[in-house]
Amino acid sequence: MAMKKRRYALVIDSRKCINCKACVVACKAENDVPVGNFRNWINEDRQGEYPKLRIDFEPEQCHHCESPSCARVCPTGATWQRKDGIVLVNYDECIGCRYCMIACPYDARYFHEESGTVHKCTLCNHRVDRGDVPACVETCPSKVRIFGDLEDPASRIHELLATRRYHVKEPQTGNGPQLYYLL
Amino acid sequence: MHEVNWGLLIVVYLFLGGLSAGLFFAAGLANYLEVDGKPAYPRIARMGALLAPWPVAIGSGLLILDLGNWYRFYKLFTHFRWESPMSIGSYLLTIFTVIAFVYAFSWLPEDWRQKLFSKVPPTWKLVHRLNVDISAHRKTIAMVGFPFSIGVGIYTGVLLGAVSARPFWNTNLVAQMFLFSALSSGAAALLLAMVLDKRNPIEAHETKFLITLDIVFIVLELFIILPYLIHGTLSVLAVKQALWLILGGPYTLVFWVFFMGLGLLVPLGIEVYELAPSLLKGKPFHGDRNLALAASGLVIFGGFLLRYIFVYAGQASSFHKMGMLH
Ligand code: SF4
Ligand code: SF4
Repeated sequence: MAMKKRRYALVIDSRKCINCKACVVACKAENDVPVGNFRNWINEDRQGEYPKLRIDFEPEQCHHCESPSCARVCPTGATWQRKDGIVLVNYDECIGCRYCMIACPYDARYFHEESGTVHKCTLCNHRVDRGDVPACVETCPSKVRIFGDLEDPASRIHELLATRRYHVKEPQTGNGPQLYYLL
Repeated sequence: MHEVNWGLLIVVYLFLGGLSAGLFFAAGLANYLEVDGKPAYPRIARMGALLAPWPVAIGSGLLILDLGNWYRFYKLFTHFRWESPMSIGSYLLTIFTVIAFVYAFSWLPEDWRQKLFSKVPPTWKLVHRLNVDISAHRKTIAMVGFPFSIGVGIYTGVLLGAVSARPFWNTNLVAQMFLFSALSSGAAALLLAMVLDKRNPIEAHETKFLITLDIVFIVLELFIILPYLIHGTLSVLAVKQALWLILGGPYTLVFWVFFMGLGLLVPLGIEVYELAPSLLKGKPFHGDRNLALAASGLVIFGGFLLRYIFVYAGQASSFHKMGMLH
C-alpha cells in the first residue's frame, strides 16, 4: 500500500485568544525549553488609549514553512524537513553556527546554550507520531489552535480553510508559512 | 529589537577573510607586472605573498571558536550543500588558504626555508621531502589562486546577501561591495606593511603602484555603495525600512561619518592628492610617508567598519516587527 501523503499545519483562530499563555507554559514543560527561551509566544498589537483601547493577541511559533529558508542555508543539513512538512533540527549534526536563526524571517529559533545547538518548535513531532496533537493545541482553553493534516479532506482544518477567510504572516518572505490565521 | 546572533567574531572573520583575498590579489598582480622584461614590483609581490595566508587562517580559527559546538566543525566538510553559502564558502575558504600558504612558501627566501626545516626532526622524512624550491612556479600558483581569492572576497558578501529574511542584506550588490572593499583593504594593508618595514624602505614607484590600485578599488566600491543606497530607498517597504537603519536610524553616524567619511572618502582624497600631480602634470611622484600611513590605516579601518555595520544592521532588519523601530 502506498503511504498516504500528509501535510501537517496549524490553523489559529487568534480572535479567540485571551493571552492566558497556557500554550507557552505547556510547550515549555513538554519540550524542556530553558528559562528565557520560547518555542511559541503571543504577539500583542495595541491600538488607541484606554478607554478606547483595542489589543489583539496573536499566537506565533515556527511556521513549518513550505520552503524553509532555515533549512536551505544550513551548511550541514542538520535542519531538515520531513515529508509531512514538519521542519526539524537533527541535534547531532548541528554545529551551532546560527546561520538558520539569521535566515528565519519569523525569528522562530533560539540558541540552546547547554547543547550549543539551535532549537525551535517541532510541532511536537514525538506526540504527533503517536497520534496525539501538539501540547499547545491540547492545552489551549479557548480552542484557538487547530492542528491537522491539510491533505486529509475530512480534517477540521481542511474544512476551516475551505470555508473561512484567513491569512498567513508575511507571505512576501517567499517561505510559504503554514500557520493559518483565521480572520 | 531583534537579538544579535552573529557578533564581533563574525565581523572579524569576514574582515580577515576579505583582507587575505585582497592581499593575495594585489601580491599576485604585482608578481605579473614587468618593466623592460624585469619584474616591476618584486618586493610588493613578496611582502603580499608572505602576509596573505595569515589573516584568513586566524579568521577561520575564530569562526570555529564561535560555533556552538566548535569540535563539530569537521561536519562542514562531511557534507556538501550547494544551496548553503556557508557550505560552499567553507570549501572555498579552505582551498584558498592552502593555495595562499603554498604561494607564501614559494616566496620564502632560501635561508628562511632551510631554517624552518632545520626545526623539523630529521626522522620526519616525509616532511623533509617538502623542502624544495618552488619559486619557479610562482606565476602558476598566483594564476590558480586568483579566482579563489576573488571567490573568497565575494563569498564574504554572499554569506549575508543570500539571506532572504534580512532586507538590509538581500541584494546582489552586497557581494560586489564586500569584494571591492576586500581588494582595497588588501592593497592598503600592503602599503601599510611596506611603509612600516624600516629595514627595506619603500620606494616611490612602489607607493605609487599601491596607491593607484587602492584608488581604483575605492572608486569601484563607491560605484556599488551609491546604487545600493539609491536602489534601496526606491525599493519596497521592507527594504526602505531596513535602509532607515543607516539613514536616520541607529547606524547612521557610524555609516556616514566613520565609514563613508573617514574610512572611504578621506583616504580617497589623500590618495588622489598624492597621485594627481604626477598623473596630471607629469611631476615626479614623491609619496609622503605619513600620508601613506594615514590613508592605508583609514582604509583598513573602513573595511572593518563596513563588515561591522552590515553584520549588525542586517540582523536588526526584518520583514516584521520593523514598524516598531519607528
Ligand atoms: S518559521 Fe523559520 S524556523 Fe520555522 S520553518 Fe520557517 S524559516 Fe524555518
Ligand atoms: S546552527 Fe545548526 S541547524 Fe542552524 S544552520 Fe548551523 S548547523 Fe544548521
